[in-house]
Amino acid sequence: MPDDPPKKPSAGPAESGADENDRPTVNPPFDVEAFARLASGPQRRFSTEAPTQPPPPGHPAVELQQVREQQITVTNEVELEAARVASTLRSQPPPAPPSALSMADARAPSSPTVPAVVPPGRSITPTSIEAAVLGAIGSSAGPEITERTIDDPLAEMRERFSLGDYTGALEMSELILAEEPGNLEAAECGENCRSVLEQMYAARLGPLERVPLVVVPRTQMRWLSMDHRAGFILSLIDGSSSVELILDVCGMPKLDALRILQELVQQKIVAFR
Amino acid sequence: MEKVIGIDLGTTNSCVAIVENGVPTVIPNRGGYKTTPSMVAVTEAGKRLVGHIAKRQAITNAENTVYAAKRLIGRKWNSPQVKNAVATSSYRIVQGPHADVRIVLREKEYGVPEISAMVLQEMKLIAEDYLGEGVTKAVITVPAYFNDNQRQATKDAGEIAGLDVIRIINEPTSAALSYGFGKNVEKTIAVYDFGGGTFDISILEIGSSAVFKVIATAGDTFLGGEDVDARVIDWLVQGFKEEHGIDLRQDRMALQRLKDAAEKAKCELSSVRETEVNLPFIISSGRNEALHLQRTIDRKTLEELSADLIERTVDICKQTLADAHLEKEDIEEVVLVGGMTRMPKIQQAVADFFEREPCKGVHPDESVALGAAIQGSALTDDKQEMVLLDVTPHALGIMTQGGYFEELIPQNTTVPTHRTKIFTTSRENQTAVKIVVMQGESERAEENELLGEFILTGLRRAPKGTVEIEVTFEINADGIVSVHAKDLETGKEQSIEVTASSGLTRDEIKDMLEGAKDYMVERRSTEEFESAKQEAERIVGEIERLFPQVEQIVAASDFGRDAIEKARAIVTKARAAIAKRDVTAVKAEIEGLSRTHRMFKGVVAKTH
Repeated sequence: MPDDPPKKPSAGPAESGADENDRPTVNPPFDVEAFARLASGPQRRFSTEAPTQPPPPGHPAVELQQVREQQITVTNEVELEAARVASTLRSQPPPAPPSALSMADARAPSSPTVPAVVPPGRSITPTSIEAAVLGAIGSSAGPEITERTIDDPLAEMRERFSLGDYTGALEMSELILAEEPGNLEAAECGENCRSVLEQMYAARLGPLERVPLVVVPRTQMRWLSMDHRAGFILSLIDGSSSVELILDVCGMPKLDALRILQELVQQKIVAFR
Repeated sequence: MEKVIGIDLGTTNSCVAIVENGVPTVIPNRGGYKTTPSMVAVTEAGKRLVGHIAKRQAITNAENTVYAAKRLIGRKWNSPQVKNAVATSSYRIVQGPHADVRIVLREKEYGVPEISAMVLQEMKLIAEDYLGEGVTKAVITVPAYFNDNQRQATKDAGEIAGLDVIRIINEPTSAALSYGFGKNVEKTIAVYDFGGGTFDISILEIGSSAVFKVIATAGDTFLGGEDVDARVIDWLVQGFKEEHGIDLRQDRMALQRLKDAAEKAKCELSSVRETEVNLPFIISSGRNEALHLQRTIDRKTLEELSADLIERTVDICKQTLADAHLEKEDIEEVVLVGGMTRMPKIQQAVADFFEREPCKGVHPDESVALGAAIQGSALTDDKQEMVLLDVTPHALGIMTQGGYFEELIPQNTTVPTHRTKIFTTSRENQTAVKIVVMQGESERAEENELLGEFILTGLRRAPKGTVEIEVTFEINADGIVSVHAKDLETGKEQSIEVTASSGLTRDEIKDMLEGAKDYMVERRSTEEFESAKQEAERIVGEIERLFPQVEQIVAASDFGRDAIEKARAIVTKARAAIAKRDVTAVKAEIEGLSRTHRMFKGVVAKTH
């Protein structure tokens, strides 16, 4: 069987939904945008560590957050977009040492040279934040953003697991096991992640005795956005087989099959009786 | 009167039938299908799958899915058919402890009769679900060419499945029974049986008083509908490769879908002139783009793809008639059996060869099982008169000097029978003679099946060729073969009773029977629990839906609050019973849940 194709970098509605499901993480207890701005500051070196608790008062992130809140009345969509672009660009890591484990990150799809969108004929007087953002854009000739390097994969795996990013932790464990098949911690973590993810997807699907139905007309099916694995699962949905049965007969790892089924349900390609 | 089921244990599909109020009827399975794939699989989670479910994952879980176990049943490890299967099967076949054949599924070894028993158990269950009562007696059909070991192995499979196999009958005989049922015909008929995995042609005589006799039988155990499916798959794969440069055979999921679609298209083309094979998202290209397979196949293409296979069946028919010293004109009726005979081109080929339109009065998929059910009914109902004259599927004889095979009972001899022949010593002063009993058609003894051997001693010392030994073969109505050798001068004699063996010992069969019983108990218990759970969950859902309304109505009073609390407790208890998978507790809770539900509905109804 060929390897699974990597996920498409550009995301339509279904794709983005799928990505969210791949990352069934609770919203982090801090302002992501502020953190991104902080990370983009000249003194801040990139770290894969995200804060696990809200930063204390007086922390630079909080100060930035306060600044941002103050600016909210003058910030428009253009400014926000520029800020988003800047934070995306700045949050990429520096080039990795050659020995580091490398992982293609399909979830960082944007181009490194995306310019800020400014409607023509409109002049903007930059605020201090805007100036910082624009400056950041100007000096953003950064590293290749589709590659991310991780110096300590085990720490990364533990971190992701502790953050509830089980998919990410599972990916890390698989990468570690590919290099070091006897790594018990990675194997155990991978197993735990699989178990949690299986439970999560199963919970989203509801009782596994339910019988799924394909609700998209056959003639329209080819216009859907999905891969051949989803196509295979779809071919097993016959209006009489339960989810449990489909999981038994599909021949895929249970986790993959559950994820695909859940995505098909979410995309409203499949429904239950 | 105890019900007897008739089971057609096929290579690719099996079918179960029963005679109800004098009418033979095929029993559909839970999915509504009248045939069930003879496939067994074990999933990664260790779950056993039988029938359609097993078939649906046969390619994606090929190493752990057994198909065509019938080709292996009762065969010895060193037989050519087993060697062929070892080389071509996707599942692992290993040597058993008694030179028999074992199949490995998820690291566990199974005897072939054990695998067939799983299919038979499924057929038994189908019948029991339909009848609403237990079934133990069965008549099972086997190909006419099956030897004694294969027949015994089929019987053992029945025993493991919890069935008392009251008779094993030949498939063509069974089809002829179905054809002749209710008709007072005396004819010589040909049964052309083109199934999913095998092809058989048999010539039978239906005599007066409903006597059925197999005159000749032949076939090809590796020629069936699956070969036609394979041709359609090749055609689809080739077309896709030409269009996209991708070989779909490299992807198991794609191949599984292709297999299902090819079989479906083949079946559809028996009734329509063209059909579309539409498999969206069949594979992803290297550019991460999902590709679709959409092709129209017409009947003419299918006929071209399968022309040589059909021709092979006609050649076998020709040879069989020649072997039986029969002319086409001697055949008064041709009965079509097996799903492939729905194909118009096959019907045409048969009509062309036999120079007569084949009979379409019997159902190609069902007639064998129906015949078995008719025979089962006849065996238990004294009022019915029916005599099935079965024949020896292979010639019986002994090995003589030089490694030759001397035939005593020819192939197709009606049983019961006995034959005697005089032999002499082959060496000077020979005092003992070894009688090697064999079954087969080859002149070379080594190419035939060894049934047993014994030594007759105490012969008079004399020049070679002067001491006469009388050898007698006898086959009784139960198919037991006895061989006697007697020194005609001294009257000394020695004999052997050849008992067919499936390759399993009695202890092994006993253990497998226990295992099968445990499986059934577990399966029944799981089904019972699932059914109770669904019922309980349905009522819990209803109660929870009504909770807000009922709370609003009755919460003002102490009595109301108390009732709400009690209802919550019942729901909690039911959930706990479900979580513990305690079927008795779940069933017990259903009563309380139903009461609560009725009360809630009543409260809501009164206030609206």
